Formats: sequence, C-alpha cells, structure tokens
Amino acid sequence: MKKALLIAEDISELSELRAVAAELDAVEVEAMGPEDLQNTPALERFGLTRLYTSTSWSEDPAESLGKMLAELISGSGAELVLGVSRKRLKDVFARAAQILKSPLLTDCLSATWSDGELVVERPTLGGGYVENLVVKKFPTLLALQQRGRQISDLSGKAPEVVRLEGKFSGVRAPRLISSEAVSRSGVDLAKSRIIVSVGRGFKRKEDLKLAEELAKLLGGELACSRPIASDMGWMPEDRHVGLSGKWVSPSLYLAIGISGQVQHMVGVRNSRIIVAVNNDPSAPIHREADYSVVADLYEFIPALVRELKARSARPSG
Amino acid sequence: MPVIHVFVKQVPDVSTLEYDPSSLGPRLEKATLRLGEVDLVALEAAVRIKERMGGEVVVISAGERVNELVLREALAIGGDRCFYVSDPRMAQADSWVTANVLAQLSLRAGKADLLLCGEASSDQGNYQLGPRLSEILGYPCITYATQLELSGEKLRVRRNLEDKVETFECGLPAIVSASLELAAPRLPSLLMIRAASRKPITRLEISALGLSDAMLESGIVRRSVRVTKTSRKNQVLKGDTGECAVKLIESLQKEGVLAI
Ligand SMILES: Cc1cc2nc3c(=O)[nH]c(=O)nc-3n(C[C@H](O)[C@H](O)[C@H](O)COP(=O)(O)OP(=O)(O)OC[C@H]3O[C@@H](n4cnc5c(N)ncnc54)[C@H](O)[C@@H]3O)c2cc1C
Ligand SMILES: Nc1ncnc2c1ncn2[C@@H]1O[C@H](COP(=O)(O)O)[C@@H](O)[C@H]1O
Repeated sequence: MKKALLIAEDISELSELRAVAAELDAVEVEAMGPEDLQNTPALERFGLTRLYTSTSWSEDPAESLGKMLAELISGSGAELVLGVSRKRLKDVFARAAQILKSPLLTDCLSATWSDGELVVERPTLGGGYVENLVVKKFPTLLALQQRGRQISDLSGKAPEVVRLEGKFSGVRAPRLISSEAVSRSGVDLAKSRIIVSVGRGFKRKEDLKLAEELAKLLGGELACSRPIASDMGWMPEDRHVGLSGKWVSPSLYLAIGISGQVQHMVGVRNSRIIVAVNNDPSAPIHREADYSVVADLYEFIPALVRELKARSARPSG
Repeated sequence: MPVIHVFVKQVPDVSTLEYDPSSLGPRLEKATLRLGEVDLVALEAAVRIKERMGGEVVVISAGERVNELVLREALAIGGDRCFYVSDPRMAQADSWVTANVLAQLSLRAGKADLLLCGEASSDQGNYQLGPRLSEILGYPCITYATQLELSGEKLRVRRNLEDKVETFECGLPAIVSASLELAAPRLPSLLMIRAASRKPITRLEISALGLSDAMLESGIVRRSVRVTKTSRKNQVLKGDTGECAVKLIESLQKEGVLAI
C-alpha cells in the first residue's frame, strides 16, 4: 500500500492510527487534525510527511467537513483513510465516502493485508459475531475501534504543516443552537480490573448506591448498560459498556440487573470471570456467566456487602 | 402537512439467532425476521408527528429477500404505504449501494419533507445511511437524534455525542437518524394489524431505479462470519441469600479475582 491519511482528534489517536498504518505497511503517511496537533513535541517521531491542520475541524457541520475531507483525500491520493470510530467521525467519514463513491467500514477490530487483499474484521449481527470483509475499492475509509495501540518512535523528519482553510460555508447545514459538555467520569474502564455494572433492574437512581458501595469494597469501578446512561441519564455516557459503548476486559465483571442482550455482552466478552445477579432465571445473561445468582438484587447486594464487610473486619486466615 | 419517509430494514432477530457449532457461522436460514430495533424507533417518531400534525408516513425498504408480512408490521404501527425493493444483489450491498438504492426508492415514492432512519441497522450497524442520503439528496442531516420536535416547517433536534449534547434547528426537507432513546416503539393493536392488511405495498425492481452499474457495485465482499461466544462455567448459586453471598465470595477467591 502506498499512502495513508490519518484523521486524528488528538495525539493519542494519532499515535494509535500511526501504529495501524505501520502494520499496514504504508509507505507514506499524512495526517489531518485540529490546529494544536502541530504543537505536539517531537512530531518527527510519528514519521509523517505532511500534517494538515484545520481550525474549523471541531466546529464545522458534518455537511462541510465531509466535502473538505473528500477533497483532501482525492487531492492527497491516499488509498487508505483511517480514523477512530467516534459518532461525529462516522458521520463525516460516511459523507466523504459517498462523495468519493468509496466504502467506509465502521467500528473495525482489525485490518490486515492477506495475499494482496485488504481484510477487515468488524462486529456484526448485534455484536455476537465478527465478519471478515475484503475491500475491493480504493480509496477506502476505516473507522477503527480504539484499542490503546501506540507507535514506537519512528525516525523521520518533522512533517510539512499545511493549514486548511474552511471554505465550504455555502452548504445547507442544520444550525447549532446549543452545545453542552456532558459530565464524564474520566475513568478508563478498558483498563479496570474489577467492574461492577448496573442495569435496568435498578428501580431508582438512589439505589445505585448499593452498587457503588459494593464497587468500593471490591476496589472496582462502576459501569452500566446503555439505558442507564442514555435513557435514564443516571451515569455518564463514558461508563456504558457494550456495542455502542466501552469494550472492557476486567478479571471480574459483576453484572447486576442486566438482562444480557447481545449488544451489551459483546462489550464484556473478554472478561475473565462474569458474575450475573438477576432475578429472572430465563434472562440471557445467565447463559453467559461463570457464576449466576438468581436473586433479587435488593436482597442479594446488601447481603453480599454485609459478608464482604464482615470478612474485611475479620483478620484474614 | 408533512410527508415523512421512514427507512426500515428487515433483519434477523439477533437476540434469538443461533449458530452452527461446526462452522461457527450464524444460522440465518432459521432466523426469525423482524424490523430493525432503531428503525422502529424512527417509525414511532414519524407516527407521533403524523398523529399531531397529519400528513403521511411512507415506509421504505430494500433487501435481498424481503417478506411483505414483515413490512406489514411497519404499516400496522402507523405507516400509510410502503415502497420496497427485493433483489439478490442486496445480499452483497455495502452502504454505498444501499444508500443509492434507498435514495432512488424514496424519490420514486414521491416528495418527502422529512426522512427518518435509524442510527445503525440491527444486523450490520454501519451508521451510514443518514449521512450518505444527505450527500445524494442534498438535504441536511442530523444524526443520533434523542429528541425531535417539528413545528410548522422548523425542525428541532437534540443529539448525544460521546462528550456533549447538541441541539440543532433546521428547515425542511431534512434527514434525521434516530438513536434508541428517541422514542419507545408501540406494539400494534389487533385493529391496527387488521387495518394494515389493506394498506398499499409497492414493489419496484432495482432495474427501474435508473442506477448505473457503478452505483450498484459494492466496494466490499463478505468472506466469513463467525460467532464470538466464549465458554463460561455456568454455575448457578442457589440457596438463601446469605449462603449465596458466601458461596460467591469463596468462588471468586478461588478464581483469584478478589483482593479481599
Ligand atoms: C444498535 C444498538 C446498540 C446497542 N448498544 C448497546 C450497548 O452498547 N450497551 C448496552 O448495554 N445495550 C446496548 N443496546 C441495548 C440492548 O439491546 C439492551 O436493550 C440493553 O442492554 C438492556 O439494558 P438492561 O439489561 O439494563 O435492561 P433490561 O433488558 O430491561 O434488563 C433488566 C434486567 O434486570 C432484571 N431485574 C429486574 N428487577 C430486578 C431485581 N430486583 N433484581 C435483579 N434483577 C432484576 C430483569 O430480569 C432484566 O433481565 C443496543 C441496542 C441496539 C439496537
Ligand atoms: N436495506 C435497508 N432498507 C431500509 N432501510 C435501511 C436499509 N439499510 C439501512 N437502513 C436504514 O438505515 C439505518 C442505518 O443503517 P446502517 O447505515 O446500515 O447502519 C437503519 O437503522 C435503517 O433505518
């Protein structure tokens, strides 16, 4: 493969995407991102030939960014365009792909060359399955799941920095009326060893205290199913686990009041031990747990907390 | 009164889908077919607008082997008529082909003020139809909607991104892709199901859509699909609550996953 273009929001994304481009044997790599990317110390270690920066990247509507990106891709001659699979990026990538008559594959798990063909793995059928796709048309856009890959220093020159001017002001786009930052826990669940996760089995927000106390006793982090974050707003979005949220791999995942739909389970499959607490014996999560407790969480969790407290008070032996 | 086009996809029900233990592939031929989860959310949002403002809800679908009975569910929920394509070529369709086909189907179905789809299809989860339609048709598109209000010709939409909540306004025609949180889909009553059997369904041939070969050429080929199940111990802890708690703690200590 000749040339790759990386679309990065920040330095950690740039590092991860650069690692993937290296795995894909890209001969030349360019990157695009917000303006402060050019202030990254020791930019030469990324082995980029060119860095495009854009002041409007974070603000412009997807309608203009899609056009800008399509122009950049065809101008640069990149065959492979890589980004990290976030909501806004998927939107912009889909637009650029449509303009370029190109494929876009989202939430990719991996991309490799095999016998001269680009093979991509991504989740499908709700996340219970992985599909292998062969890409036939280039340029191709890939939105990759963030995995925390990092480049080791590549030798090279500092990239030429090219400023992109936002010039697509004439497009028909929705008017942004307001934008509020949402609270984030800031915790990187992907790195947590013990996770206590809550679902719709909890009747009220106050009841989450039960799980909080348990998490504290176990030295774990709190997480949740999608409806707890998105529907109820009881927990920050960055705590929701599953297909459309975080993929985690703790040694212990304790799911309380979670039914275990495939879209949730795909995010926890790499846990070493899964414990389910659910009062419905037919809930699918019982089939995918190492230890199942068929009980009312309102009785079981306090009992578990009592027992843990009693043990930590007792000298071990 | 607004005319709303809603895009719904017939998909295998992933919550009951089984896999073949030897090939590890899904048993699609045995799967129950249904409409996509988020597509039903989009449809619900459309029907609520119709109930408030009048107008019409047109259901649009494309697939490799579409079953009209499944489409009738969308009409039972409140769709007024349906346009669809059923063609083996859709089996390999990528998002480029799907968007090209659905855009033309929508144009054939008549003028639309609002086009609604889901943020992601339940089977493939591409997250692409809304933005791609926007490029083809030239209408603005707001993705991942969690709230939607239409008053007169003005659309107001809220959406959740990973780190912020945004509110947009725009005029019509416009495209909106729905998040699961936009509306809770209703279950159709028996009366609605019966009424749906008389609503018109129009099947069009792909060849009637005026699409060039290039617009029907997929950029990807699906090689294989395999299940990602991991094997689990499946031990059920029974007894009174206190005993269960003790058993669980002891099991987890044996596994070496508890610091206590
Ligand atoms: C495109 C798409 C993407 C999605 N992405 C995600 C995702 O990333 N993450 C995610 O989680 N979901 C996702 N979903 C949603 C998913 O399909 C389920 O709807 C969701 O996971 C259900 O959450 P839940 O288990 O908390 O709620 P429910 O399914 O309502 O389950 C609640 C459970 O609690 C149990 N319960 C009730 N009361 C008690 C009690 N007193 N004690 C013990 N147990 C009790 C019930 O038996 C039930 O099993 C997605 C769906 C789609 C279509
Ligand atoms: N073949 C199809 N027929 C009808 N609607 C579709 C089809 N494919 C996708 N859609 C719609 O587009 C949304 C997003 O799908 P996707 O881009 O495949 O994730 C879905 O939720 C549906 O509303």
